[in-house]
Amino acid sequence: MAENGEEKLLAVARHIARTLGHNDDTMADDILQIFSNFDGRFSREKMTDDDPRPCAPLEHSLKSLHRQISQYVASDNPIWADSADSSAFLDSVDELISTIKDWSPMAGDKSINACLARADDLLQQSMFRLEDDFRSLMERGGDSFELCDSTTANLSFDDDDDDGNEDDSDDSDSNQIPVAQPVNDYDIIIDALPSVTVNDLNEIAKRMVSAGFGKECSHVYSSCRREFLEESMSRLGLQKLSIEEVQKMPWQEVEEQIDRWVKATNVALRILFPSERRLCDRVFFGFSSAADLSFMEVCRGSTIQLLNFADAIAIGSRSPERLFKVLDVFETLRDLMPEFEAVFSDQYCLLLRNEAVTIWKRLGEAIRGIFMELENLIRRDPAKAAVPGGGLHPITRYVMNYLRAACRSTQTLEQVFEKGSSSSLSVQMAWIMELLESNLEVKSKIYRDPALCSVFMMNNGRYIVQKVNDNELGSLLGDDWIRKHNAKVRQYHSNYQRSSWNKVFGVLKIDNIPSAPSGAAGARSLKEKLKLFYSYFDETCKTQSSWVVFDEKLREELKIAITKLLLPAYGNFIVKFQNSPDICKHPERLIKYTVEDVEVRIDELFQGTGASAGGKK
Amino acid sequence: MPATTDSSAAASFTNIGRSILSLRRDQVHSIEGMNMQHHDADTELESFQKRVTDRFLDLSSSSDELLTLSWVQKLLQSFLISQDEFRQILFRNKSQLHKPPMDRLIADYFERSVKALDVCNAIRDGIEQIRQWQKLIEIVLIALDNKKLIGEGHFRRAKKAMVDLAISMLDEKESGSALANRNRSFGRNNVRDNLHKSLGHFRSLSWSVSRSWSAARQLQAIGNNLNAPRSHEIMATNGLANLVFTMSFVLLFVMWALVAAIPCQDRGLQVHFSMSRQFSWAAPMLMLHERIMEESKKRDRRNASGLLREIYQIEKSTRLMNELLDSAQFPITEEKEGEVRQRVQELSMVFESIKGGLNPLEGQVREVFHKIVRSRTEGLDSLGKGNGPD
Repeated sequence: MAENGEEKLLAVARHIARTLGHNDDTMADDILQIFSNFDGRFSREKMTDDDPRPCAPLEHSLKSLHRQISQYVASDNPIWADSADSSAFLDSVDELISTIKDWSPMAGDKSINACLARADDLLQQSMFRLEDDFRSLMERGGDSFELCDSTTANLSFDDDDDDGNEDDSDDSDSNQIPVAQPVNDYDIIIDALPSVTVNDLNEIAKRMVSAGFGKECSHVYSSCRREFLEESMSRLGLQKLSIEEVQKMPWQEVEEQIDRWVKATNVALRILFPSERRLCDRVFFGFSSAADLSFMEVCRGSTIQLLNFADAIAIGSRSPERLFKVLDVFETLRDLMPEFEAVFSDQYCLLLRNEAVTIWKRLGEAIRGIFMELENLIRRDPAKAAVPGGGLHPITRYVMNYLRAACRSTQTLEQVFEKGSSSSLSVQMAWIMELLESNLEVKSKIYRDPALCSVFMMNNGRYIVQKVNDNELGSLLGDDWIRKHNAKVRQYHSNYQRSSWNKVFGVLKIDNIPSAPSGAAGARSLKEKLKLFYSYFDETCKTQSSWVVFDEKLREELKIAITKLLLPAYGNFIVKFQNSPDICKHPERLIKYTVEDVEVRIDELFQGTGASAGGKK
Repeated sequence: MPATTDSSAAASFTNIGRSILSLRRDQVHSIEGMNMQHHDADTELESFQKRVTDRFLDLSSSSDELLTLSWVQKLLQSFLISQDEFRQILFRNKSQLHKPPMDRLIADYFERSVKALDVCNAIRDGIEQIRQWQKLIEIVLIALDNKKLIGEGHFRRAKKAMVDLAISMLDEKESGSALANRNRSFGRNNVRDNLHKSLGHFRSLSWSVSRSWSAARQLQAIGNNLNAPRSHEIMATNGLANLVFTMSFVLLFVMWALVAAIPCQDRGLQVHFSMSRQFSWAAPMLMLHERIMEESKKRDRRNASGLLREIYQIEKSTRLMNELLDSAQFPITEEKEGEVRQRVQELSMVFESIKGGLNPLEGQVREVFHKIVRSRTEGLDSLGKGNGPD
């Protein structure tokens, strides 16, 4: 009994001390000291009303708190419209909370217990009201983020054409984004909510958490901000697409979606999410775990949406045309990974971080897969119709231009192929070249004329080297490769010459051996040889007139080589012929072409026009 | 001729198919080692089927476990293992994959598995939905904390959370009126009472699929044209057709069961599930299917957002709790208080069972997703390589 009385005394002393504005125990101790001095008079001293009950002081406080609080709880006007009102309300709530805390140890007493129940009731009403006010404050301040003109002017995106995201924003303050930044600078700080509002929210959050209503507070916060975020994302043009939908979409549409995604991901990771993080930290200042939890709640969905799309791209078809866009997605994730890890750094976000890395790796796989598909395409390219005239094959053109374009992203590709199992980028490129060449060789066999095979190989080979030379591709393949390849082209050249012109040249060989026929037999032989020469020569020129050599330099080389081969020999032969006795009365009549004529005919080769097909003279 | 094995499906078509196969094998000039290959393939296919059967028998063994969180985890685990074995067998038979009709069968399977990916994503969203309910239940538990005296304020607080929970568990279409009621009872009359905006707070948490996506349609698509392979297909593929068919069915069933259990968009369960009983796993699978369908038709489960046992428990305890909260008059009697504490206890148990199980489940669903992707990528890559000379 005595103990009970002491406790009550202590509670009263504390209560008085607090009423006087002192929260520490020293004043309470002093008061206690005074009480004990009063001794007998104490029992008669009425500190409250004429109420001897132990719960009297509590009841008294509660009565006044009830008066103060109820007017606010019941009011239809927003409490936070007036800072005096809100302060007063918060003060009352604070007092209520601490009163309950102080008196709870004595809940054993029935009357005190009853008071505490009423106090709890009042607390609950206050909390409901605070929750409503919290929600109103959050909704009032939060119009969704707009990519208005001033923003987009200062954000750099790869494509400068913006879709129509420029609705005229409301002129509420929260929408004005301070944008005095240079281009390429994402360091825009968005005040998601005005500073005053954020402070108010924090004040409310403090009370709700200390009253044990933190979860409700967090719940309201997350719902509101999540909605905001979702709206912002959709204004960025981001749609919710299933993986299957992305697979079925026509490629052009996918490209558009990727562009939007790149933009949205940049905005999200550089602006929106950091802004949400800041807001969380400020509203739940002092309660880091509530802040972490709420942040995760707010941003999780949008993050998943972004990652899902990237995943859908990574899972998609390996058609080579997709390379450049898939690279975009890969590079975006790669470049933003530091931001990702910074903003999702807390304990709840580990899963998300892992997901992001997994998906990024998958994109790398996809890129490697695209190159594999390119290999397959090359391998499978059928050798059906021969290119007329042995010219450049479309596949050569396609592959070389493709690789040149791909090599604009050498750095990224090297990263991708490093992570791959075996080959580096150089090896991959060399392999593709090998496949291409093999395929071309197979194609060349369609031409029945071996000389034409060689011309075909020459043309394509030359094109390949040209495209490799002044380009990243060249440094990837290396000087050695280029040297070897040039040598191959030269080899084809000599093959060509050998298989077509040697025969012609061979006719002109004059035997100087003693056993060679002379006299009339010799003369006849020369005549026959000349006729044969013309026959071969004409035939060869006719055949080769429709052949094509696209590269001017190569064309010249070929012609020069033929000329060098034939002209001197022909010249000699003609002289021999003319000076040979026994030929006939007028040997000139048998000479169809002068040396110059031969030269001209040769010069007309490889135009692909059949110009030298017709006989002259 | 190797002895035909003892598959429990007696006189099964598959056995006959295999006998014919072994006949042919003896008569064919075999390239060195091919005989060995065929024999191995045969055995490994048989044991694959057997293991699948065993797993499904195990899943259908205890009736009170059905559709609990732990059962679903067991189901996913058996999928993961089957998928792994499937992948290994395919790998060992790489050379067979690009020959028709195997190439088409494999490509079909991979098509189906892409559709399954979307189901996995939708299920993940569904798990998040359940997590939201868990959070609301937590508030109720805090409000009615056993240590203190329960007052009217606590009741009101619990009720508010209960109403939020009820709205969250409802179909979106029905939420509108429930919300209006809620605002009337617990909030003030907001001048700017924008119902649509309030609805947003409880909007379905679907991040991975568009509004028009339908789980029912997706399941039907997965099961589309899924027919038991004909004998000529089985022979042409050395039995691998059966492997693909089995795995396809396992995929379909697992996805179907997930949709049955977990809330997701447009949860229709009417999928054509006729499996020919020639396969030993067909019987246990069909039985599970029947029992789950039965569950879905029960009066108090017909409109459930998901058939997960724990969801049922949430629905039950919250219903009882609601009744209690509604009927309470203050000051409450001791008897009433006792009832409340009992309900809190029940609800607390449900809460604990969910809390422990959701994260691992989500992790598993993600694993299923990743495995499917990996297997598909490998498979498609090897199909691609198979063409043309090398």
